[in-house]
Amino acid sequence: MTETTATGNYRVHLVDTGESYSCPANRTLLNAMVALGRQGIPSGCHGGGCGVCKVHILQGEVTTLAMSRAHVSKEEEAIGYALACRTYPISDVVLKVVGRMRKSVVYRYGFI
Amino acid sequence: MGVMRIGHINLRVLDMVAARKHYEEILGLMPSAEDDKGNVYLKGWDEWDKYSIMLSASDRAGMNHVAYKVESDGDLDELKSRIIEYGLDVEMVPPGTLPFCGRALRFWMPSGHLMYLYAEKEFVGKAVGVNNPDPWPDGLKGAGVHWLDHCLLICELDPPSGINKVADNTRFFTEVLGFRLTEQIMAGPDHTVQAAAFLARTTTPHDIAFVGGPTLGLHHCSFFLDEWADVLKAADVLGKNKVKIDVTPQRHGITRGATSYFFDPSGNRNETFAGLGYLSQPDMPVITWTEEEIGSAIFFHTGELNPAFTTVYTEGV
Repeated sequence: MTETTATGNYRVHLVDTGESYSCPANRTLLNAMVALGRQGIPSGCHGGGCGVCKVHILQGEVTTLAMSRAHVSKEEEAIGYALACRTYPISDVVLKVVGRMRKSVVYRYGFI
Repeated sequence: MGVMRIGHINLRVLDMVAARKHYEEILGLMPSAEDDKGNVYLKGWDEWDKYSIMLSASDRAGMNHVAYKVESDGDLDELKSRIIEYGLDVEMVPPGTLPFCGRALRFWMPSGHLMYLYAEKEFVGKAVGVNNPDPWPDGLKGAGVHWLDHCLLICELDPPSGINKVADNTRFFTEVLGFRLTEQIMAGPDHTVQAAAFLARTTTPHDIAFVGGPTLGLHHCSFFLDEWADVLKAADVLGKNKVKIDVTPQRHGITRGATSYFFDPSGNRNETFAGLGYLSQPDMPVITWTEEEIGSAIFFHTGELNPAFTTVYTEGV
């Protein structure tokens, strides 16, 4: 689930756009962003399975839930990569967005 | 004879406790077994075989395999010959290889997804029994889904490289496994690229579907509900439980089904699906949607393809 009993609010800064938003300690970085109607981190399955919300935490402390190893390896996790939908802030956070929705706006062949 | 219906899907989950809460408390599936490896087996109240969902703990989300049930044991020998003749590798595995099932055929679809066919699975019975049954049982939890209805698999599609696993799977399923193509999406110049295919063995619009994407994957597995109002109520249950909803209730152009997409706690997409759309028969003409109308084909009300539709999915092997 996306809520814990932690309290407090932290700022999340996206170096990609220079924007920031407020994230309660009991919500994931992604859940707090979409709840505000904001964009910046791609929003997908919210379960750690699809990988589109992958971020690199550059500054700050976080805790994370299980994430599919298909998208974040142990080595990557050790140097700050995470899925925003599985990540709770325990301080202000500065991050870079790594994950992507499919980048083509006009699909070449229907779906892809 | 031949394939009857989807039998079960084996899903990989990152957190078994969260997964059990989702599938049992929110979708309303009933636990029927747990093995010494920690796999959990679940069935819908309206299903009679032992399980239709097998949950396996893993550090990667997605599916391990999907299994379809054939009518009689002898069908397995016949289908084995046809699969070999088609040129695919296939193995007859002994009883119990698939838990609680008899012997089974094991092979990889042309798309690379692992599939089993089996004829026998331990019988449990519907929750309402067979003697003067009530229309539904008391004590259903959450959405109270009836049964696992179908799955949609993402198949690699890259026409410039000559790769179209949607078409490859469709050919195999129709020519070898006896499925009927009910609907398709044709894309590209002159609408010559089969970008999605919906196939049936039952009289429903689809028992399996293939949609093109960059890599193979599991798009969703779908659970049947009676009607539109049940899909709305299921979405209420999802909202109450803060389940991530991908698409709120609306109608598919393809199949005409009432639908809602959402994700399990590991990011595997689920669907609640109501209405059988239409009667699918062997002589029904194939319905074709063209690329320009993909939005309406998938989400009929908005007519807009959700960008997450082919980007957000979990692993297919």
